Amino acid sequence: MSDQTTPTVDNLREIAEQVWSAYLDPEGIRPLMLGETSEASSGVSASVSLTGAWHGHVVVTCSSEAARNAAAAFLAMETTEVSDEDMTDVMGELANIVGGNVKSMLPAATAVSLPHVVTGAANRFPTTRQICELAGTWLDEPFSISMWQSRELAEVPAA
Amino acid sequence: MKILIADDSRVMRQIVIRTLRQAGFDGHDLVEAADGREAHDAAVAHKPDLVVSDWNMPEMTGIQVLSALRAAGNNVPFGFVTSECTAEMQNAAQAAGALFFIIKPFTPERFKEALSTVLG
Repeated sequence: MSDQTTPTVDNLREIAEQVWSAYLDPEGIRPLMLGETSEASSGVSASVSLTGAWHGHVVVTCSSEAARNAAAAFLAMETTEVSDEDMTDVMGELANIVGGNVKSMLPAATAVSLPHVVTGAANRFPTTRQICELAGTWLDEPFSISMWQSRELAEVPAA
Repeated sequence: MKILIADDSRVMRQIVIRTLRQAGFDGHDLVEAADGREAHDAAVAHKPDLVVSDWNMPEMTGIQVLSALRAAGNNVPFGFVTSECTAEMQNAAQAAGALFFIIKPFTPERFKEALSTVLG
């Protein structure tokens, strides 16, 4: 695996800007504020797996409140109207969109899985290492997008 | 006109419907399908005037749906709305007869540009 096909935090930032512009902040008044963030104690984590020529995961993690805000923005409804199903569906779709866009940067023979969403517990990916993370707050709630690469491939020395 | 919207994500089907409206394509009959098999069967049963389909779905992928329809002589206008956008996929979509390839995240302007030839 060469660095040429390893997505970077700049790639994640570019994808996030498109997602915020299209769905989460179309009016440009509620941006993702990049910077330090603490892990949400009771959050939502959505992921898609990438397999084939590149092995790893794209993970979108945020607090329950941020997931509720995201669902309200995606579905054009009030946060009080958002159901748990809305939250998990929207978080899964967020992971799917980011993962699909990341796929276009990876070797051609890489497949994206259907999304997987975990609520109220940490999402763990054994035998992987985090290769980049876009982290910050959205509407004062923690929000992060990260990429994890399978360790056996990640540890191959660069040529 | 009748439009079939195929996506395994309920949220994305709602967003596609909203975006169609925002793009000025109001007043059409809408049919939804939650996986590729449903999309194929609905395309046969409902005879839509346009299919707007995700690529990566359970049961059948969008490209499998399109290929199966074309193999059976069904030439319904068909396009993709997907977060995956490799050159190979776009070439495969075009070769199979897709009219458009919209990448998520998308805007109403992109829908208008891609669908105006079909929906007027």
